[in-house]
Amino acid sequence: MSRSLKKGPFVDLKLYRKVEKLNQMNKREPIKTWARACTIVPEFVGHTFMVHNGKLFHSVFVTEDMVGHKLGEFSITRLFRAHTTGTKAQRAGVR
Amino acid sequence: MPRISGVDIPDNKPIRVALRYIYGVGPKIAEDIIKEAGLDGHVRAKTLDEDQLAQIGGIIENSLVIEGALRRQVSQNITRLRDIRSYRGDRHRRGLPVRGQRTQTNARTRKGRKRTVAGKKSVKGMK
Repeated sequence: MSRSLKKGPFVDLKLYRKVEKLNQMNKREPIKTWARACTIVPEFVGHTFMVHNGKLFHSVFVTEDMVGHKLGEFSITRLFRAHTTGTKAQRAGVR
Repeated sequence: MPRISGVDIPDNKPIRVALRYIYGVGPKIAEDIIKEAGLDGHVRAKTLDEDQLAQIGGIIENSLVIEGALRRQVSQNITRLRDIRSYRGDRHRRGLPVRGQRTQTNARTRKGRKRTVAGKKSVKGMK
């Protein structure tokens, strides 16, 4: 179910204030954040966020197209290394 | 055979069904169109006269995105998700389900036909 329009998009207040402050000073610097659930609002465009994925921070440069998405969508939380290929015997031979 | 909105040629079926042969028109929208045109949904498509066809065509033209334009819109949306490197875009790229469905089993529509993996234990064997 989608979020009630009455409430407006969820934006992490602390993060928002930080961005506003940077905008006022006309500064751009990476912001470390854990607020993966925070919606990207137009004010964020052009900033770089370091979005925590539970282990480390992924750098996310926000473009106009990303507005309306959540920060967490750009910082994956799962690691998939490819499946092993070939048979057991083959792999043993390589080693 | 009547033609509505370009190349679509629905046939011998009631118009509420025939309209659904247009890509982008399903049961709901077909009913909406018929209601707006003030027609009876049960009459056969071939019995419609030029005026009625033009009327339906006009309604579709004005209020709907269909066929090629709709297909283009959909693929553009997907391309956008890919380009911004979002999680959903990544799922599209890998051909896996996009909306959080399980992939340990099922998800065959997205993943395609089963590829047997040598040495993988069966479900029974995992217990």
